[in-house]
Amino acid sequence: MLRRQFMTIASALAIAAAMPVAATAETPKDQLVIAVNMSSMRGLDPHELNQLESAEVVANLYERMITLAADKITEPQPGLAESWTISEDGKTFTFKIRQGVTFHSGNPLTAKDVAWSLQRLVKLGLAPSTDLRQWGFSAENVDSLIRATDDQTVVVETPEVWNSNLILLSLASFSTSILDSAFLADKNKDGDFGREFLQTADAGSGPYSLRTWRANEMLIAEAFAGYWQGEPAMRRVLMRHLPESSAQRLQLEAGDMDVATRLSSTDLAALDASGDVTIQKTPGFGFYYVALNQKDEILSNPKVREAFRYLIDYDGLSATVMKYYGIKQQSIIPAGLPGAIEDNPYKLDIEKAKQLLTEAGYPDGFSKVYYATPVTPEYEVAQALQANAAKAGIKLDLQGGDYIGKFRERAFEIFSARSGERLPDPHAVLASYATNANNADEAKLTGLLAWRSAWDVPKDIQDMVQAAAHETDQAKRTEIYTKINRAYLEASSPLITSFQRTDAKAVRNAVKGYQGHSTWLTRWDTVTKGE
Amino acid sequence: MTTSQTTVAKAPGSRKLLSGARKIATSFAVILTTLLGLLVITFAIGRLVPADPVIAAIGDQADQATYERVYKEMGLDQPILVQFGTYLSNIVHLDFGQSHITKNAVSSDLARVFPATIELATLATLIGAGFGVPLGVISAVRKGTWVDHLGRVVGLLGYSTPIFWLGTIVILVFYAKFGLIPGGGRIDIYNEGLVEGPTGSLIVDSIIAREWDVLWSALHHLAAPALILGYAAMAYLSRMSRSFMLEQLRQEYILTARAKGLSQRSVVWRHAFRNIRVQLLTVVALAYCGLLDGTVLIETVFAWPGLGQYLTSALFFADMNSVLGSVLLIGMISIAINLLSDIVYRFIDPRTR
Repeated sequence: MLRRQFMTIASALAIAAAMPVAATAETPKDQLVIAVNMSSMRGLDPHELNQLESAEVVANLYERMITLAADKITEPQPGLAESWTISEDGKTFTFKIRQGVTFHSGNPLTAKDVAWSLQRLVKLGLAPSTDLRQWGFSAENVDSLIRATDDQTVVVETPEVWNSNLILLSLASFSTSILDSAFLADKNKDGDFGREFLQTADAGSGPYSLRTWRANEMLIAEAFAGYWQGEPAMRRVLMRHLPESSAQRLQLEAGDMDVATRLSSTDLAALDASGDVTIQKTPGFGFYYVALNQKDEILSNPKVREAFRYLIDYDGLSATVMKYYGIKQQSIIPAGLPGAIEDNPYKLDIEKAKQLLTEAGYPDGFSKVYYATPVTPEYEVAQALQANAAKAGIKLDLQGGDYIGKFRERAFEIFSARSGERLPDPHAVLASYATNANNADEAKLTGLLAWRSAWDVPKDIQDMVQAAAHETDQAKRTEIYTKINRAYLEASSPLITSFQRTDAKAVRNAVKGYQGHSTWLTRWDTVTKGE
Repeated sequence: MTTSQTTVAKAPGSRKLLSGARKIATSFAVILTTLLGLLVITFAIGRLVPADPVIAAIGDQADQATYERVYKEMGLDQPILVQFGTYLSNIVHLDFGQSHITKNAVSSDLARVFPATIELATLATLIGAGFGVPLGVISAVRKGTWVDHLGRVVGLLGYSTPIFWLGTIVILVFYAKFGLIPGGGRIDIYNEGLVEGPTGSLIVDSIIAREWDVLWSALHHLAAPALILGYAAMAYLSRMSRSFMLEQLRQEYILTARAKGLSQRSVVWRHAFRNIRVQLLTVVALAYCGLLDGTVLIETVFAWPGLGQYLTSALFFADMNSVLGSVLLIGMISIAINLLSDIVYRFIDPRTR
């Protein structure tokens, strides 16, 4: 008897599985469904996270004083601050905060929230705090330098004179998101400013509020009815964790997803060819680079460094593995920013590399250990370099694994990865690639790629980087950056840049207004869905 | 007290009781040793992987001061034995630490992802046993006939087909091509969040909440991965039950039963099957354990937010607390299932008591 019941249940389940599912072909008109890989999403506190997917969520839960349009990335626009003035000496910024903005809690947003939030960012001192700390703000001085003078006025004083655009652009970063200070007042735990609470909750004023987030599973955000710019068209935005590229592609093709964000080159190519989907390539402010450790006698030889530049197949890779991931760029300022140049003087030339190695005193080549991250397309690029190097007599023992720790400790010979900055200004990239105030091991300037490579950056380059950041005349700045760019190429830096990174997303044609953003602030309130 | 115990020990039948207690004590000792071994191994693996757990926690961009602070906070500056001691004492308090990825306590993460895996593995085991055992029995009874051959081919296919490949094919054909099954996940994304708790099993919770749409959606999502896993389990269980059954059918008591004129049905199910129940129970329990920790691939293919996916992602991002917690949980569950099957075993078959 029991057996019979059991068999009936089992058969029923089998039949249920075989039955067609009612119309899953289209996502609802008022909901946006995004496929993401959530594996590296680390909480949703805007002052703590430093990662693409989390930043996109935070971009919509919170707002900032300044906004940057995706297509005018270097032009600060009013956000929560409806206007601002800059003092004669360039050190004092006075922002007028918009009236009538409310937080999701219903609390009104005032200048006090703005000042509190920026102070919180600096005081927490986590990775994104660099956005303000690099201009001289510290936990000790921030309370006096960033302050609310009345309900609608915030004053930001910088300790030194910097180019004002640098400050304004920094205030558009997701890290400078404005938090509801009154709402968070009782969420403080052991002086963490509500940090633990904000990992999985929001306290913002953005067009969306967080309903549910289950790490590595899914996220639901709901349109905020009280949003000051009006309720967005998409009633809900749903993110699903789909770590497999092929799964993202299938669901996008089937119409269960509107946007897929982490696709392999093969899947992107297939979707590109299908016609139902648009592939967006958003330029980022970082590079695919190869780092040669300058503590190594052979690798510190300028001729050897130069030889490596001839061992990368820029054109071949452009057409294949890097098609969706990068744009050929051998100089150090990303395209689209002041001072960028279009010179790409290097190409794959084994003979030239051999000649340089002979001149350097290594006619028979040498052997080195090469660490690379085993993810696409970085590993393919590394394999290509390994193959070309072999032809020139350099034996690279390629090891794929998580070697970022070794890189930070300068315990490597050759390392390759990709970098990513968020500030749409050359300074962000140059500060890491071309400044190294102290090349000693004990200095532990681990945040800088130049220090990690043990590169004692020529003093004139470092001086120019500092001068440009302080220069208030925009035309002069552009001039300096162009100079730095050329000097970097001539110095044959041990940080060899080959491709400027681009982030590719596949968007169904019916979705309008979803635009990838170079500083990771993709907005959902601009999205509509057509037929 | 001592006197009364002595009295009891001397009383008739008390020897049996004492030997039972000794057996239980031995079992516990074995369990504790196994657990300790598991702890040592997982801890050692956690310390041997080349990834830097500090960078995993704070990201590569954090400055050196933060790095050093977190390094200390994690206790990594302590001698390895002290670290192991801390680890042990935390585990005893059921504190697996915090996950650096999800920022939750690992124990609460596990409480969330494990029901998804149990749901999948349980249904797969039910399917596997429900089809596999009768198939094996029938194959054995009809040994050498086309039924037996067919059964063995079906079994062999299930045994030798890689689950990952089968899952991908099923998705390509039944989801992408014909739209007969839903895409990844446990539930249609529009039904997400409608039912929360108390058990964590969407099937059970949606029935409790009387949310039939959610139940329907959850069953749909469960069907394909459970059938694939169930098929693999079926292959294993049908093979085992066929060989158990064949062995029984060769026994003399079967000949006697047949000679007495009992029906085939009665001989097979009342006599022979009764005698292989205990062995079957053991292999079903083994299959269940195997499914609980072996759903990694199918969870990845079907984007199933269970323990397998949790563990994979934790491993990939050097989230060692999560890895250790997951491995330990799988270990403990396996031990528990084995223990349980042992108890039921004794219950069914008095000879083993």
